[in-house]
Amino acid sequence: MAPDVLFQIAEPGETRVKHACRTNAVGIDLGTTNSLVAIVDAGKPVCLTADDDDAGGADAGDAMVPSVVHYAEDGDVVVGADARDRLAPDHPRDTIASVKRFMGRGMRDAEATRRLTPYRFAPAATAADEGVVRFAVAGGRAVTPMEVSAEILKVLKRRAEAALGGPLAGAVITVPAYFDDGQRQATRDAGRLAGIEVLRLLNEPTAAALAYGLDKQAEGTFAVFDLGGGTFDISILKLEDGVFEVKATGGDSALGGDDFDRVIAESLIAGIGRTGDIEPHFVRRMLDAARALKEALTVDSEASLEVALADGDAPTRFALTRTEMEALVAPVLARCAGPVRRAIADAGTEPGTLSGVILVGGATRMPLVRSFVAEAFGREPLADIDPDQVVAMGAAVQADMLAGGASRDDVLLLDVVPLSLGLETMGGVAEKLIHRNTTVPCGARQTFTTFADKQTGFDLHVVQGERELVSECRSLARFTLTGIPPMPAGMARLEVEFTVDADGILRVSAHEEVTGRQTAIEVKPSYGLTDAEVERMILDSFANAEQDVETRLLVEQRVEADSIVAAARSAMRDSPELLTDAERDAITRAVADVEVARGGNDRHAIRAAIEELDHASKEFATRRMNRALEQGFRGRSVDKVDAELGAGKAGGR
Amino acid sequence: MLCWSCQREAGPGAFCVACGALQPANDAADAFSVLGLPARYGIDLATAEAAYKEQSRQVHPDRFATADPRARRASLARTVQLNQAWLTVKDPLRRAGYLLERAGMLIGGDDKKSAVGGGDDKRTAEVSAPPAFLLEIIELHEELRAARRAGDSVKVAFMAEEIRGRAAQSMAGIAQALDSGERAQLEKAARSFMAMRYYQRFLEEALADAGGGHGP
Repeated sequence: MAPDVLFQIAEPGETRVKHACRTNAVGIDLGTTNSLVAIVDAGKPVCLTADDDDAGGADAGDAMVPSVVHYAEDGDVVVGADARDRLAPDHPRDTIASVKRFMGRGMRDAEATRRLTPYRFAPAATAADEGVVRFAVAGGRAVTPMEVSAEILKVLKRRAEAALGGPLAGAVITVPAYFDDGQRQATRDAGRLAGIEVLRLLNEPTAAALAYGLDKQAEGTFAVFDLGGGTFDISILKLEDGVFEVKATGGDSALGGDDFDRVIAESLIAGIGRTGDIEPHFVRRMLDAARALKEALTVDSEASLEVALADGDAPTRFALTRTEMEALVAPVLARCAGPVRRAIADAGTEPGTLSGVILVGGATRMPLVRSFVAEAFGREPLADIDPDQVVAMGAAVQADMLAGGASRDDVLLLDVVPLSLGLETMGGVAEKLIHRNTTVPCGARQTFTTFADKQTGFDLHVVQGERELVSECRSLARFTLTGIPPMPAGMARLEVEFTVDADGILRVSAHEEVTGRQTAIEVKPSYGLTDAEVERMILDSFANAEQDVETRLLVEQRVEADSIVAAARSAMRDSPELLTDAERDAITRAVADVEVARGGNDRHAIRAAIEELDHASKEFATRRMNRALEQGFRGRSVDKVDAELGAGKAGGR
Repeated sequence: MLCWSCQREAGPGAFCVACGALQPANDAADAFSVLGLPARYGIDLATAEAAYKEQSRQVHPDRFATADPRARRASLARTVQLNQAWLTVKDPLRRAGYLLERAGMLIGGDDKKSAVGGGDDKRTAEVSAPPAFLLEIIELHEELRAARRAGDSVKVAFMAEEIRGRAAQSMAGIAQALDSGERAQLEKAARSFMAMRYYQRFLEEALADAGGGHGP
């Protein structure tokens, strides 16, 4: 958390200063299997394709970048088709595919997929970060899913900057609608690690509906059935007068084409009589064979291929008919039925009243999936849309709107929270604060009290899910409130405010009502990185990172310096009576120092000067705050007090 | 109140009259005033929805993605308040409960108090369910459970229909009493409101087997 105690108020979740210019904002579909980047060009969203000299071995004209990252022994990172086709078969452990499945997930989740993943997981360095998955890759490195995703994002960023002829202003990155808070945080952190200003996280089905709705001028209630490589979403949306209103969403963030590959691979492996432990090269080759057969069977009714099971072996022939494959994957596909039913019920609609069903995601190309959808909704799905590109295109439209580029003032996206948010209460019961399918941004307030004399800290455990018991929900984070004024037990009234922002990410803030004191909040994400870890990773990456990350940080530091100097000046002007002469001199000197540092290129010097100013003005700020509270701010929201004191500071998450 | 951006008088609206900057949310505003509606039960939902969407267009965070952090914060707070207000107003039962609470009626039972501002604590009166009513509800639940155990779906459907009828009657009574403006009527409305909660729970249980069904 940045030490901006000047006029304080930590605002969890707010990034420091946004300074995106009004153009060059892109949409990114960070997919399990493939990723894409799109821009709005002359009012129309278009996916950017690879140049002839594109890194990663993509064919020119190809919009999709395979979401595969290879870590070489010499420290090189290769992303894309080259990693998937050339490097993965020989370096299965150092070539991470489908990393999205691990985003915001813990080691226990990773262990569950062990038999059919070729990866090696690194043990946690400390007890504190045992929640985060780390892949042990070549060169003795251990990388988190966020870092792997950041490598994919960097390739997309380069592609966009080449096309735009300038630096990226920001990006809208899409996430499955059913992604929980931890998975969203992880995605946003990946963006930060790639040096991308994440303007918004947009739900994939909503992005698809936006692109489809604007393109076809569609009105009515639509279902978006999005079955990708690793995730499944179902959203019901009402499209009316430019308003895209999500009525309900559901899904499974661990269900997709990868699971089809896995059951097919299991069957192929059983067919050649292999049992027990299998080694990584073999796993990779069997998964690739399964995927190739599956794709061939989308068009043909029979397919076969030959695979060398190990280097030097004679190739083994695998053959499969479409009927056989469909029998294998049908039980996996059937897992979509429950979420579909529930989303339709939650939306308060009936399949018969829908205006259409939009298909998204590569897996929806399979005839079996199409007939499943037709049966579930009692109608043929719409087929006049590219299921691979529509999400990135919708994201580009949203990015353009957010950056103020397009004159689409009539468009409004109303999205929802996919899973209920709750707090752990006595007896391990989850008390729901915000129910699923509530329109975001939304909030809830809860008042707590202390249970011991002079208690100055308080722990909150936030969970997400629909079940009654905490143990059956997903742990999001533990929040520790500190700085509660010491009072007898039961006297303090801690008002905790939960806000889910437009990205679907939870922020928590708290204050003690009796004294009006803001309490500090420390966040320990259950399956992610703390802000400090993200910062450190960004710093670590400087060694071989692009210059622009450094430049960006410098610019941010300068903007912060400007705003803090302005705040200090206006405070001194407004309340001179609260200052001693010595303090005024000290603050004035500190302000001058910040300005000198700001003129230089050393952001650490600027940071140090800001901290010095914070320190010099701390007492003054406290007096101002106290007086403001006495003058009748008491009981009003922190936001307002904050605004009236003329300080717009934001801390870390 | 002075505008955070231009330091001039901002006026009563969401946007500063002088410079157009979005102003912080007023936490004290109640759900109806947030939507610019009269605080009464009988409202035109279509008008209310149009007001909700029009305001959303103006204050939604999507409009302030690259704005000053203070404007972004105001946008977030205002949109949270707006969404909460619409959630409260669009659902008839929630709307009724909110109006009762606003009028100082405390409804006995396990539901938490609403977190929305605007309710004044003066003149509070607590209303709880009459024992005779509770006894009847308990008997009905037992009857329902027996029917479900026996797999008698016709009986379950029949009971649900009966309760649905009662709920509709209660709801109509609440509507009338709430907008009458009489104190005595309010207490009647509060009792009907409480009954509605029991009916709802009953219907949830009755429809649990039907699968995919939704509330009354």
